[in-house]
Amino acid sequence: MALGLFTACGSDGDAGGDADTAEDFDFSCPERTDGEPAADTAANESQPFVFGTPGDPTSLDPILASDGETFRVNRQVFDTLLDADCTDTVPGLAESYEQNEEGTEWTFHLREGVTFHDGEVLDGAAVCKNFERWANFKGGYQSPNFTYYYSSVFGGFAENDPAMGIETESIYKGCTADGLDATISLSKYTSSFPGAFTLESLSIISPASIDAVADAAIPTADSPLPEYTQTVGTLAGTGPYKLENWDHSSQEVVLTRNDDYFGEPAKVKTVIFKTISDETARRQALEAGDIHGYDLAAPADAQALIEAGYQVPVRGVFNLLYLAYTQSHSPLDDHAVREALSYAIDRERIVNSVLPAGGMVATQFIPPSLEGYSEDVATYDYDAEKAKQMLADAGAEDLTITFCYPTDVTRPYMPAPKDIFDMISSDLQNAGVTVEAKPITWVDYIPTTRSGECPLYLLGWTGDFADPYNFLGTWFATESTEWGFNNPEVFDSIAAANTEPDEAKRVELWKAANEAVMEELPGLPISSSPPSIAFAPNVYPPDVSPLTREDFSQVYFTTAS
Amino acid sequence: MTTAKIEKLDRLIEATATARDAKTGSLWRQSIRRMRHSPMALTGAIIVGLFVLVAVVGPWVAPYDPTAQTWGREVFLNQNIFPGPRPENWFGLDHLGRDMFSRMIVGARQTLLVGVVATFIGFIAGAFIGGVAAAAGTFGGRWGERVEAVIMRAVDVALAIPMLLLALSVAALLGPSLRTVMIAVGVAQIPIFARLLRGSMLAQAHSDYVLAAIAIGVPKGRIVVSHILPNSLGPVIVQATLVLATAIIEAAALSYLGLGNPDPGSAEWGTMLADAQRFLSGAPQLAIYPAVGIIVTALGFTLLGEAMRESLDPRLRRQE
Repeated sequence: MALGLFTACGSDGDAGGDADTAEDFDFSCPERTDGEPAADTAANESQPFVFGTPGDPTSLDPILASDGETFRVNRQVFDTLLDADCTDTVPGLAESYEQNEEGTEWTFHLREGVTFHDGEVLDGAAVCKNFERWANFKGGYQSPNFTYYYSSVFGGFAENDPAMGIETESIYKGCTADGLDATISLSKYTSSFPGAFTLESLSIISPASIDAVADAAIPTADSPLPEYTQTVGTLAGTGPYKLENWDHSSQEVVLTRNDDYFGEPAKVKTVIFKTISDETARRQALEAGDIHGYDLAAPADAQALIEAGYQVPVRGVFNLLYLAYTQSHSPLDDHAVREALSYAIDRERIVNSVLPAGGMVATQFIPPSLEGYSEDVATYDYDAEKAKQMLADAGAEDLTITFCYPTDVTRPYMPAPKDIFDMISSDLQNAGVTVEAKPITWVDYIPTTRSGECPLYLLGWTGDFADPYNFLGTWFATESTEWGFNNPEVFDSIAAANTEPDEAKRVELWKAANEAVMEELPGLPISSSPPSIAFAPNVYPPDVSPLTREDFSQVYFTTAS
Repeated sequence: MTTAKIEKLDRLIEATATARDAKTGSLWRQSIRRMRHSPMALTGAIIVGLFVLVAVVGPWVAPYDPTAQTWGREVFLNQNIFPGPRPENWFGLDHLGRDMFSRMIVGARQTLLVGVVATFIGFIAGAFIGGVAAAAGTFGGRWGERVEAVIMRAVDVALAIPMLLLALSVAALLGPSLRTVMIAVGVAQIPIFARLLRGSMLAQAHSDYVLAAIAIGVPKGRIVVSHILPNSLGPVIVQATLVLATAIIEAAALSYLGLGNPDPGSAEWGTMLADAQRFLSGAPQLAIYPAVGIIVTALGFTLLGEAMRESLDPRLRRQE
């Protein structure tokens, strides 16, 4: 048996200064330089901490969610077996864990004396009950619309519903409980473990809650989420905060402190997540004192806010923005054309001009802090003349191409989609390509791009845990309509790396996989950049997370506002 | 609001109808003579003249390609760095490193084009509806009166809807494009022209020369087309000048709301204004140039239109 070791969050770089190049920036977690000022106890008891979020959560049941806004709320209310500090795996509900040599048996030693908000006690049986519930989801619950993360980690369910299109067999074999121990058995190792045990989606909920929702009608793939996910009261977690209220009309989720929390109790009694979708409106709300912090500040606002005394802590870099070449659209199936387009695009300008300070040009489809980041991938540095020449050689001088971009949205990896679109499309036009702009609203954007309708489109990904498969596997594990290519060499190289239990070998295999992907060139990785988060001057902010996984129980007021 | 609009239109009709009774010289010659001495008209004419000149020759005199992101590497949106006015870029650079001066000049043409085409659409369609209503009301007997009533109530309903709302609905139906903006703004002007022409024609219908024409047996259709219509167009043409100003503002508003030209690179004042909004705190000049452009142009057309209206109004006529 090999003992899983927890390591503290590494922090060896200087976050300040010019951080445009890979050499002088700490990608994972810049060190915190502020001290811990004294808390104003009266303010923390009486004053709610209001945080402006760019969007509404979708579900109060973490297993049925796959978006960051939902996880922001869930993370305060529920706990996972393992937790993430920076991008490292640290103890969560489990104080420690063991794995067997093959990585197919994971035994978690749970904390003693942890109780759920409804009074139930956490033990191995409660953990197993959660895993059994997930593995035995039926019907529409198996659709990626409901359980995207579960099926991507475990491959499938106990009985795959043929209508849901999941063909791979589940690698989950079973869970055995012994007092405070829970052992999860898998049929084969993948590199997603142990990182996957930190996924917010795999949060442990109270056994009583599971019984309460067991009778919920099984939905179809397209039906809305079950009713209990939209109102508080049904689900109980173990986290530092309890769900108090979710007002859909005023777009507010109210949390109150869990006084029986097993860890350090939260200092602020009430936390409110308030949705303000407009970036400027969020800034104005902060300046007006209506909210005490907000996420996804516009890069240009960050500097102004700092000058005005607000706090804009620097997050680590753990995301990726890319331009996809959907190969089902000719002539993007021609490697030379994809290469030419890649040479045509000046990514450095996008990073320097649009993205927050600390962003960098991406050379491959994973951020540099991950194992398996290769220095030897094929790079496609900006060269407009070469691009023009290559297009001519490939017989595609008069190329006209549709280019999709999302409207009314800012994403952690993409602060200003239209500006980025404008820059890329101007570069392409300079190389002689005619670009047809196709703006799509964010609600329709992901389904449209996934269906392969857009020849060129912008999209990105924020990592969930420190594992290359969380990036590469998301996109290139098998043939998909969103990329429209079938290159077994790429698929196999990713599968090989993902299932290699030996770490040293695995790192080499991931490097090879990255090189294979960049050789295929399914899209152009554009950048990795730290999304900006802002707080009022009288707030002690939480440790900011490259995974955008902030723990608001750390927040407190230093003075009343 | 609507009543005020209707009252204003009615006064304009009355003014021209009365002006026709003036004994000396033709109405238009008199008006033009009066306008020559009006500072308001002169100012308006100069502004409009300059604007039209820029719009016509703009694309040839613009120093740079308005869509080329030539200085893209010198602009830093994330730090609010927008190289300001300098010798090679008189108005500075926009957020993508394009020359603002060239964009302003080239944008003038689009603005004029939208204004003129939209007004033309409103004029033709409105005149047709108003003309039919007036002709039916005057010569169509009892059925004609009913037709007129139905048409004019519909026009009144349309007039009661705020113009921008009407334009927005049309634009939403047709999808974003430059043509949409023209049609949307034009459609929103139809009820104004319809009401104006109908009123003007009704005023003419009772004049002596029409009576005379009826008396000598000229066919009704010919009376309407060759006698009443030409003599009723005066106030409508004046209104067209005023409407041009509104059309320019509304076209800018629609582009600002993202219903204009879907090519995000195109130089259009409303779109430029919308783009600049995000950088208002860091680079207000990006918003000021197109805003001033829209205001001054609309002001020019309004001054000219008002001056024309006043010169036709006998009550405002100065002693000569």
